[in-house]
Amino acid sequence: MSVSFRESLARISVSLLAGALPAAGARAQSYGYGEPLRNDNFGPGFNYSQIDAALLVYQEGGGRVMAIEPTLDLSVHAADGRALTLSAAADAVSGATPNGAVPSDKPQNFVTPLKAAGSSTTVTSASGGSTVIQLPPTPGQAATAALGRQYTVAANTLPVDKGFHDHRAALGGGWTQPVGGITDMGFTLGYSRETDYQAITTSGHVDQTFNAGNTNVSLALNGEFDSSFPFGGIPAPLTPMNAQFKTPTSRNKTQAGFVLGLTEVMTRRWLLSLNYAFDNQSGYQSDPYRIISLVDPLNGEPVQSLYEGRPTKRTSQSIYWDNKIDWGPAVTDLSARYYTDSWGVRSSTVELDQRINLTPSIYIEPSVRWYDQKAASFFRYFLVQGQPMPAYASSDMRLGSFHALTYGAKFGLSLSKRSEIYLKAEYYHQGGAAHPAVAFGQLRQQDLFAGTNAAIAFIGYSWDFH
Amino acid sequence: MKWILPILALALSACAPLKDNFLGPQPYEKDLMARKEMQVDAYPFLTQAEEHIYFSKEASSGGRGFAGGGCGCN
Repeated sequence: MSVSFRESLARISVSLLAGALPAAGARAQSYGYGEPLRNDNFGPGFNYSQIDAALLVYQEGGGRVMAIEPTLDLSVHAADGRALTLSAAADAVSGATPNGAVPSDKPQNFVTPLKAAGSSTTVTSASGGSTVIQLPPTPGQAATAALGRQYTVAANTLPVDKGFHDHRAALGGGWTQPVGGITDMGFTLGYSRETDYQAITTSGHVDQTFNAGNTNVSLALNGEFDSSFPFGGIPAPLTPMNAQFKTPTSRNKTQAGFVLGLTEVMTRRWLLSLNYAFDNQSGYQSDPYRIISLVDPLNGEPVQSLYEGRPTKRTSQSIYWDNKIDWGPAVTDLSARYYTDSWGVRSSTVELDQRINLTPSIYIEPSVRWYDQKAASFFRYFLVQGQPMPAYASSDMRLGSFHALTYGAKFGLSLSKRSEIYLKAEYYHQGGAAHPAVAFGQLRQQDLFAGTNAAIAFIGYSWDFH
Repeated sequence: MKWILPILALALSACAPLKDNFLGPQPYEKDLMARKEMQVDAYPFLTQAEEHIYFSKEASSGGRGFAGGGCGCN
């Protein structure tokens, strides 16, 4: 830790002690109808701290993925604009996830590596509908170690792997402060670790406010270094799925980007934000567990499952436009985004939130979000045997063409002048082509859209204190 | 979907609260902007959670902030 950083921490500690004293000269403000309870000695220009705690519960329909994610955040603000933020998050994810294969009118078998190489652990039908199978040992491998996991998917059913589960823990921190004539400068660091993935993130930003405080421009740079070390190793793209352990066991991805932002107080009641974001990713970006079916050219029956393969370069750009309008007892938040990337993905997003202050301490906020996506150029529902093999192919529906609708409502309650609890419930629905024109043979009878429906519940608690 | 942005712009420009003291509110007119719900990201936890979900279920990310999710969710 550098001396200057230690000095900064020491200074803010002194500031916080000073801030613990009752603030003198509290501002008096008159608010209009429905103004929520607010403290007048919190916010910019005051020493205060804030704790945020939240719990997210996410459940997909059809017995698919469930996730639970608690998060905790502490931010310490000094009156002169310096702020320290610390955050922690954890999540547990489990459930069935589509493996990428097309449904068939016959039962299908899939094999994956079983536990660690050499493990004698057994997998029974009670743990994910799988069975242990004996494999032909590879040269130099003990016969007892040559085990794989096999699961069977019934006819006319979307193939899913029920053995999916993961845990994640993430820590983050950030520091921001005015520097000379610059309104605000800061940086963040983050670390996230899963069973099979690690991400290190960092960012820095510069903000400048001018025009009597009505205009703010910002530039934020970010960098990310990820490592993927999937269970069973990294499969070679477009090779047959099998139960052998593979090499290499890990691959990396680096990411760098920036966001250029403009925020303008348009009128007393209207706040406008405009962002341009650019991002570049380089390295391993395939899903190591995902496969794509190779089908018979005559009847569309899957004859083989191949590991997917995605390009190792991806650049993306997006424009984001947000408006907040105060109508008195209500606040409208309307935003739109257009996104495009070098994989051929194009998307448009429009989101509308309408906050209505029912009483000074209670509000409701219905919201709706509409999303439309055009597929990546290498997205395929399946590959056809006998046709030239493409350089890249993925049947991941997240890279396909679909639209999504999210609707929900938030309910907020100020428990005191310093604390608020809020709950939000949402439903997320993806829709797409179940019977695309490329389907033939038995595939024409199948539902080839493997999109997601999910229910989301979020409860959060925010507490300001001195 | 090219029609969406012009329609939104038209709808916004028709709104009455948007015309007073355009582009130049004075400091004493910032009372409404000081309210929590008028901050650019008033509930960052909620925003992060939603962005995390969309990042893990859609091919697009970023715009409001950085692209990517700092995790292997996609």
